[in-house]
Amino acid sequence: MPNNLMQQPLAAASAAAPNWLAAAHAEARERWQAASLPTRKTEQWKYTDVSAIDREFVPGRAVSVDAAALDARVPDCGGARLVFVNGHYDPALSSSDPAAGLHVARFADADESQATLIQAHLGSVVGMDRHLFATLNSAALSDGVFLQVDAGATVHAPVQVIWLTTAQTEAFAVNQRLLVLAGDNSAASVVETFVSFEGEAASFTNGVSEFVLQRGATLNHYRLQLETGSALHIGGVHAHLDRDATFNSFHLGMGSDLKRIDIVIEHAGEGAHAEVNGLYLPRGREHIDYHTCMEHAVPRCTSSETFRGVIADAASAVFNGRIHIHPQAQKTSAILHNRNLLTSAEAQINTKPELEIYADDVQCAHGATVAQLDELSVHYLRSRGISRDEAQVLLSFGFVNELVNAVRSEALREFLRHLLAARFSRDGAALTQEADA
Amino acid sequence: MSQELIDERIGKEYSAGFVSDIESDTLPPGLNEDVIRFISAKKDEPEWLLEWRLEAYRGWLEMATPHWAHVDHEPIDYNEISYYSSPKSFEDRPQSLDEVDPQLLEVYEKLGIPLHEQEMLAGVAVDAVFDSVSIGTTFRAKLAEAGVIFCSISEAVHEYPDLVRKYLGSVVPRRDNYYAALNSAVFTDGSFVFIPKGVRCPMELSTYFRINEAKTGQFERTLIIAEEGSHVSYLEGCTAPMRDENQLHAAVVELVALDDAQIKYSTVQNWYPGDANGLGGIYNFVTKRGVAHNRSRISWTQVETGSAVTWKYPSCILRGDDSVGEFYSVALTNNCQQADTGTKMIHLGKRSRSTIISKGISAGRSSNAYRGLVRMSPRAEGARNYTQCDSLLIGDRSAAHTFPYIESRNPSAVVEHEATTSKVSDDQLYLCQQRGLDAEKAVSMIVNGFCKEVFRELPMEFAVEAGKLLEVSLEGSVG
Amino acid sequence: MLVIENLHARIGDEDILKGLSLTVKPGEVHAIMGPNGSGKSTLGHVLSGRPGYEVTAGTITYNGEDVLALETEERARQGIFLAFQYPVEIPGVSNMEFLKASVDILREHRGEEALDAVTFMKRAREACTLANLDHSFLKRGVNEGFSGGEKKRNELLQMMLLEPSLAILDETDSGLDIDALQVVAEGVNNMRNDTRSFVLVTHYQRLLNFIKPDYVHVLADGRIVRSGDASLALHLEEHGYAWLDDEVA
Ligand SMILES: Nc1ncnc2c1ncn2[C@@H]1O[C@H](COP(=O)(O)OP(=O)(O)OP(=O)(O)O)[C@@H](O)[C@H]1O
Ligand SMILES: [Mg+2]
Repeated sequence: MPNNLMQQPLAAASAAAPNWLAAAHAEARERWQAASLPTRKTEQWKYTDVSAIDREFVPGRAVSVDAAALDARVPDCGGARLVFVNGHYDPALSSSDPAAGLHVARFADADESQATLIQAHLGSVVGMDRHLFATLNSAALSDGVFLQVDAGATVHAPVQVIWLTTAQTEAFAVNQRLLVLAGDNSAASVVETFVSFEGEAASFTNGVSEFVLQRGATLNHYRLQLETGSALHIGGVHAHLDRDATFNSFHLGMGSDLKRIDIVIEHAGEGAHAEVNGLYLPRGREHIDYHTCMEHAVPRCTSSETFRGVIADAASAVFNGRIHIHPQAQKTSAILHNRNLLTSAEAQINTKPELEIYADDVQCAHGATVAQLDELSVHYLRSRGISRDEAQVLLSFGFVNELVNAVRSEALREFLRHLLAARFSRDGAALTQEADA
Repeated sequence: MSQELIDERIGKEYSAGFVSDIESDTLPPGLNEDVIRFISAKKDEPEWLLEWRLEAYRGWLEMATPHWAHVDHEPIDYNEISYYSSPKSFEDRPQSLDEVDPQLLEVYEKLGIPLHEQEMLAGVAVDAVFDSVSIGTTFRAKLAEAGVIFCSISEAVHEYPDLVRKYLGSVVPRRDNYYAALNSAVFTDGSFVFIPKGVRCPMELSTYFRINEAKTGQFERTLIIAEEGSHVSYLEGCTAPMRDENQLHAAVVELVALDDAQIKYSTVQNWYPGDANGLGGIYNFVTKRGVAHNRSRISWTQVETGSAVTWKYPSCILRGDDSVGEFYSVALTNNCQQADTGTKMIHLGKRSRSTIISKGISAGRSSNAYRGLVRMSPRAEGARNYTQCDSLLIGDRSAAHTFPYIESRNPSAVVEHEATTSKVSDDQLYLCQQRGLDAEKAVSMIVNGFCKEVFRELPMEFAVEAGKLLEVSLEGSVG
Repeated sequence: MLVIENLHARIGDEDILKGLSLTVKPGEVHAIMGPNGSGKSTLGHVLSGRPGYEVTAGTITYNGEDVLALETEERARQGIFLAFQYPVEIPGVSNMEFLKASVDILREHRGEEALDAVTFMKRAREACTLANLDHSFLKRGVNEGFSGGEKKRNELLQMMLLEPSLAILDETDSGLDIDALQVVAEGVNNMRNDTRSFVLVTHYQRLLNFIKPDYVHVLADGRIVRSGDASLALHLEEHGYAWLDDEVA
């Protein structure tokens, strides 16, 4: 890597990491050192400029955080909660609610059997060559979260992992890793929230999550990217689905200068199903980029994907949704929808739904649209006395709300409604209360 | 076009694959500035054009082969190709068709393109390009009456130097891309069309391209200018003999539709696709682009069944307000063919509109990709695009891909893109067979149905031909 | 009072209204009937200011104010309400949210006090009951997935909550079963008073059995070709529109 990018955080990680991570470090570091940052000429990065991370970063430091301030920014779904501040586990903010069948461990204090399990699965979903920033993540590992759901267990309360970045004086980098192992026929939910408190120094978060879903496992996953200001994020979600496994993954991106998330789902066992929905809502000069890829490697799997974006002000968004049907993957059904609204003359969207199909007996379709709000709907609202501006707010909110309504967790749905109502400057609190009254 | 002619042309296998034994004047393989000087001198070109070519060549030397297309082929050795081949009898250029070597005319008859006007399908004027040179343009007198110029580009360079100089490279700049730069350096012939203000071209114009000589490349250049309020429909057909080595075809087509003009450009591309094992065939790397001014319309219709490798994106720059761009495409690949084709619609004008209908059919072990770009620029107020991309897979070893790039920077612009895939199902086949159709006929019927939205856009006689072509190209695709 | 004089309107290049005049005084109920495509809905859309409808000649005033100079929402705030023949589905925006936004702004405009959340909810539920819609409809997306009849009743619900001074009901009775029809009729009858006026666009005399109109007009080819009292509707029901042709010609 030219400019020895990330040298300080990498050195700090070496010092802090448990010994058994050394092997994973070595290979990843070699690759990271040999690589160079992608440029606009790299197809996968055609529309996203990463030069903002080409600077010196120091490692994130543990700082103390006001619990109330944090609580105001994150959902409360009950259940176990792990909070990391600038990459450091904060026991005071965390709470464990040991549910039957669920095991939570941190890499830093994993016991021997847990370490063995982690080693067996870490990096098994996101290979070294898949994604440069996942490689960086492996190279800079010192701690992470390992969640294991026992075979046959059903865990009702979602596990929440909160990754907070908060002010430091110098630009700092944070490495965050989640590994979930869902045993045969288990069912569980995980909520990842990335959030920041605004400060003057830029931060760069590299959050990579790996999900191993064994036979018949069901996992509901939510990933909220709520960092603000100059908190940059490049990360990924990588899932491996065994036979009859179901992975439901919801994504929300809003709030900071740069966010790039790669979502790769590998259907590796027949009958696996993935549903991935997402919202991206950049404004100001923010840039959000979601790259998704459905790998259908075996027959009779299904996937459905819906992403919507509202791009305001001088913001820009990128959506790239790939469906890749391998030659053996007969009887696959895969659909993808992407809809975008530009609400300002300077807003920009680049979208590319892609199909790459090597099997004939499949049902694949995608659609992408870029449009303004429907004129007739605007008129309908105005004919009831609502002003044009207000109508646009209502309709934009409605546009994203459709996906929020499909969120399975009630607590999260409420959280999202309020958050988005505020984003679209609606009085969300009053409205939802009324509707429920 | 008569049924016999169609049958003859379509034949059973690649019937255009014969080699004509015509003595030719062929430059030895190799590419350098001297070759370009030779071509230019041979054509007695003015100094500016030679400079123009050399400039393109120097640009090309600095460029790298593009690798982004979803195709895979051996690197091309540009020094193995001959850049000029002309039938011997052309040394003393014939002044009219009557003076053209009868053997040459026979070649075109065999292809089903009789050049003698009396045999022609009334109303289609033809320019035929054989290897590097144009061998004659029919109906010139009748066209001249209407003020329409239709001749080879070489002639145009001499007879209409101002027009050529003004528009050549105005749509596809010399260094636009690797293959366009190469073409700009070494183009040998092609057609030139000029429709004056307000004129509706009285007949369809058509060009037939044929590569005959071994180891030759074909680099034709077509330039069509439709002045304000004029209309023209132009057809292009291509064939080549069957040869074991790959031959390169790198053409450039430039269309200029001034205010209120309409250009309809239809292609039936049937270059030799190589044999069932992927040996031989044409590499077809073509740059086609049109600029549409205010209220003008450019419509590309293509039926692509040939070539070993196709790399082609007929595009529209919708510069004018209320301009319209259309792209209707059927691309069929069989055996080991690879196609990466699509379009670009660049919306600059207010309320500019574009429609893209792409039908890809993949059979055998072939690979067929749609690649498109729809760009709404910040000033494209109220612009609209609708894109529909359908793929049909025949057999489980073929591949179909869709890579649509959508870039919007205008909140009032509307872009809609949809893509689907389907297969020829066993049930459909069974039903057809139940009704007494054999499997191949059944597939051909299904495929024709799949393509009808595009065929509808073709001029009548081309539509018939296109259907037949698909049938032939699909030969052996079902068990 | 609504006064329409010599109204000409077009959609694109198509002239639809060709010199339509109509006066509706406070407290009156007018029924407009006429063949398909005669321009009844167009009249409603022009009154509400729908984009794409261009007025080429004529005037519309409401209580002396030039309606055509007003934005769509300003017309609504003046008390003009149009129940759409084909209500628009707005997924994601809850009916409740929509109604609240609308009621708030109209009340503000009328100088009335804002309703607190509890009072509003109470009224919304009452209106639901009157419109014979389950309360759960308040939580659903505006018209999203509603059946034809439910959409019409949702229009009625809005009318009851917004309390317009002039309501144009464009075929609010079409596609309703007899019970639903009575619901609509009761809704209108309950709201009838000396100041509020109604324009009912309908194809069926049966609605007029329940809502007694003061006037019945026949709209054909963009103009009002015949006006009369309630008995005209009966006549039309029996004889259709063909008999008018001779008179129009
Ligand atoms: N967008 C449009 N473009 C062109 N013509 C239109 C458009 N919308 C409506 N029209 C035409 O305007 C005419 C009047 O339509 P309108 O909807 O007002 O009729 P109507 O009297 O309400 O009919 P119905 O009884 O069927 O509801 C019809 O001929 C219709 O086809
Ligand atoms: Mg109507």
